[in-house]
Amino acid sequence: MTVAEKQPVPAAISVRNLDFYYGANHALKNISIDFPQGQVTGMIGPSGCGKSTLLRVLNRMYDLYPGQRATGEVIFDGCNILGPKVNLNVLRARVGMVFQKPTPFPMSIYDNIAFGVRLHERLDRTAMDARVEDVLKRVALWPEVRDRLHDSAAALSGGQQQRLCIARTIATRPEVVLLDEPTSALDPVSTARIEELLDELKADFTIAIVTHNLQQAARCADQVAFFYMGEVVEVDSADRMFTAPRENRTQDYITGRFG
Amino acid sequence: MAGRENAAAVATSAPCASGRWQGDSLSDMRRRMVDRVATGLCWLATILVLLMLFSILFVLVRNGLGGLRWVTFVHVTLPPGQGGGLANAIVGSLIQTGLAVLIGAPVGLLVGIYLAEFTATDGRFINLVRFISDLLLSAPSILVGLFIYMIVVVPTGHFSGMAGALALSMLVVPVVVRTTEDMLRLVPLSMREAAIALGAPRWRVILFVCLRAARDGVATGILLALARVSGETAPLLFTSLGNMNWSVSPAAPMASLPVTIYQYAGAAYEDWTALAWTGALLITAGILMINITVRLGLGRNRK
Repeated sequence: MTVAEKQPVPAAISVRNLDFYYGANHALKNISIDFPQGQVTGMIGPSGCGKSTLLRVLNRMYDLYPGQRATGEVIFDGCNILGPKVNLNVLRARVGMVFQKPTPFPMSIYDNIAFGVRLHERLDRTAMDARVEDVLKRVALWPEVRDRLHDSAAALSGGQQQRLCIARTIATRPEVVLLDEPTSALDPVSTARIEELLDELKADFTIAIVTHNLQQAARCADQVAFFYMGEVVEVDSADRMFTAPRENRTQDYITGRFG
Repeated sequence: MAGRENAAAVATSAPCASGRWQGDSLSDMRRRMVDRVATGLCWLATILVLLMLFSILFVLVRNGLGGLRWVTFVHVTLPPGQGGGLANAIVGSLIQTGLAVLIGAPVGLLVGIYLAEFTATDGRFINLVRFISDLLLSAPSILVGLFIYMIVVVPTGHFSGMAGALALSMLVVPVVVRTTEDMLRLVPLSMREAAIALGAPRWRVILFVCLRAARDGVATGILLALARVSGETAPLLFTSLGNMNWSVSPAAPMASLPVTIYQYAGAAYEDWTALAWTGALLITAGILMINITVRLGLGRNRK
């Protein structure tokens, strides 16, 4: 049923029979989906269909809120991360997340990146400098900020802040990067830069991106999943999903009949 | 109302020179009158308040300025007619308010963090703590003084500067609790989530992200608490008592500006009442300085 079964690419994360509840609200219904290694998985669907909820299960962000619970299996590196013995801080270092709104911390550009790295590694000054430079170059922010690394990150533009947040996330060297509508608060130019960035990042990371922008999903994603009312209706390659969807509901959504 | 207005508008309706445009209908005139009266009352109230404030400041400066001499700052209080100063009261006030903030601010900070950050715990308990803290915020300060008298002064058998500082610290705590909680609640949830998503443990998120973001507001709260207690008299009456001599030991009775003012202001000796005015001026100037620091500090960081 899923593409992964037909493809040789192994899954970085496999979700099996996942149910999710916000209190009594059954938000995800028996979901199974694979996130193939080194590929971009785009998640589309109308608001409230469970895309972001699934993302927040993958790094167990929902754990912060009492009343939210998940049942089923999410296999990452051979282990069910929904289990009770998982070290959440380690999991979150390995499964990074970028949010809808840029969230620079109230500190310098340099410290924004060093904050995450210091949580998991002990680096000396030179190694840390090198790490900061490396990730800032990867998000193409280095030329813009190299002379003001120790200025407040709040002074950056929205697009720059979002690239800084991506740099901060990949600085801890995660295996998976989750992006929750990362460009919906940005202008078209900044959006284009982040989309280019995704293409380069997938060489090193498995990426899952939630987006309301169907063109964005078509441009960036290798695999697209269509969510509707808490279910995964269809998972397929981006090409097939947007040209020849198998399900009527997918067809209706991508042609703009609802959503 | 609306109907009458419409009627008036229709009655005088000419293409452009209607009452609607000219504003000369009855209801328009009435509206302008009400507006003028309300604006006038606002002005009157503002002037009244400013007048009171400035007359207090004026009287303070007129009566207190004469005492701002060198001897006031270097000499201790003396019996009437011998020309003493306020040195022991000034230093006593600094020590007691300083100790009060040192004791009260960390406690208030921790409780404020608890109320704002540990929201996953039982909501009823959080609400209870907040309610008690707010109650303490409006508790009569003389009760706080009596409380410390019962639990510190009576068991130890003597008045002390430390008891005074403890009484003041009980007034510092609720102010700092409130401002810390309010400021931390202004830190967006998304910033906390972003830090947690990097794999940061709770304490690091609170200490290095949330408190850092709320730094200015929290510092302001502590300074305002300092300003608040620096003028308190009642909590000190039964705790540090006052001391006519030079003493900087928190274990002994200690002088303070408010208590000295309280003792001197009603005295029959002219030099004592003059010193009371000077003390009042000093406290006012100190509080003013704290407030200016707060404003300058916030203004600087906003840039």
